[in-house]
Amino acid sequence: MSQDGDQAKASVSASGVQAKAILGLENISNNATGELSIQGDALVFKLADGRIVRIPIGSIQGVFLSQEDKEVGGTPLALGRAATPFGGGRAIGLFAHKKYDFLTLEYLDSNGGLHGAICQLNKGQGQAFGSELETKGVHVSGLKDDAGPETGDKK
Amino acid sequence: MKLSRGASLKVVTAAIVIGLSALTVPVLAGANRTGVAQWSVVVNQVDPGGSSIAPEFEIAIYENMLDELVKTKQFSAVLRSGDRTADDVPALLILKTTVESYTPGSETKRAVTTVTGATKLKVRSQLCTREGQVVLERVVDGNVRFIGGNLRATHNLAHNVANAIKQSSLPEPAASVHPL
Repeated sequence: MSQDGDQAKASVSASGVQAKAILGLENISNNATGELSIQGDALVFKLADGRIVRIPIGSIQGVFLSQEDKEVGGTPLALGRAATPFGGGRAIGLFAHKKYDFLTLEYLDSNGGLHGAICQLNKGQGQAFGSELETKGVHVSGLKDDAGPETGDKK
Repeated sequence: MKLSRGASLKVVTAAIVIGLSALTVPVLAGANRTGVAQWSVVVNQVDPGGSSIAPEFEIAIYENMLDELVKTKQFSAVLRSGDRTADDVPALLILKTTVESYTPGSETKRAVTTVTGATKLKVRSQLCTREGQVVLERVVDGNVRFIGGNLRATHNLAHNVANAIKQSSLPEPAASVHPL
């Protein structure tokens, strides 16, 4: 993975999808928003300020797709919900959620160290992006159906 | 009472010395308390154990663990699983994390009902030497009950593991060379 300058900026095509880097992308703060795309033999995350993170597709060990509910509206809506009387906040909470696709990557750096990264995409984009990665020879699992199964155990 | 110029200078100097010593004593005590600054640690990939933990949670635990261990400043280096540079590190500990239980939650359920939808994680963390000697073992949990996304449980868990390591006293590197 590397951060490149103007040369890399120029090579990024407009075919990417809007994504949020939840965690794990090196030199990118958590929850940063940018554009995720596949450029030749690399997965590219481009921030709004022009910074670029490249992950060589050959270094990707696996990709897992999943789907999850997330609250929309951020802190203002959360405060609004808390301030709504007569339990109205709960009713708002019921509708203030949206489904997102999650793309989980496992890749190796030049020293062989394992990295993991999680990106949040809009619903439906995860499968399309995963399929594109699959054509490049990356092992992709999860989210074949519309609604991914919720797994877990209780002990 | 009026002090001479020389006397007041002495008073100010004494005050500065006392202030500085008060500041440095806890810092030195913290450094000597465990003596683990010579250790480096390599964080192994999370073992799902018998649980069916989602891969994004495994990765989030692993990445958050790396971040939190760096923040503790207890280790001279925090290395990733598989990092070849770990071979040259003399005093190396290996952090193994095994998931004991995982209960997936729902942010929507938490928002609507408050009492349901909690995401719960419980892991067994072991710090081992290269020879396999376990120097620290803790069962730690991380939950999200009210506010925050489901992945926040992994951040809480990693924070708790790092805290457990920080509060424990690890042996000196030379004393732990021989296995059990």
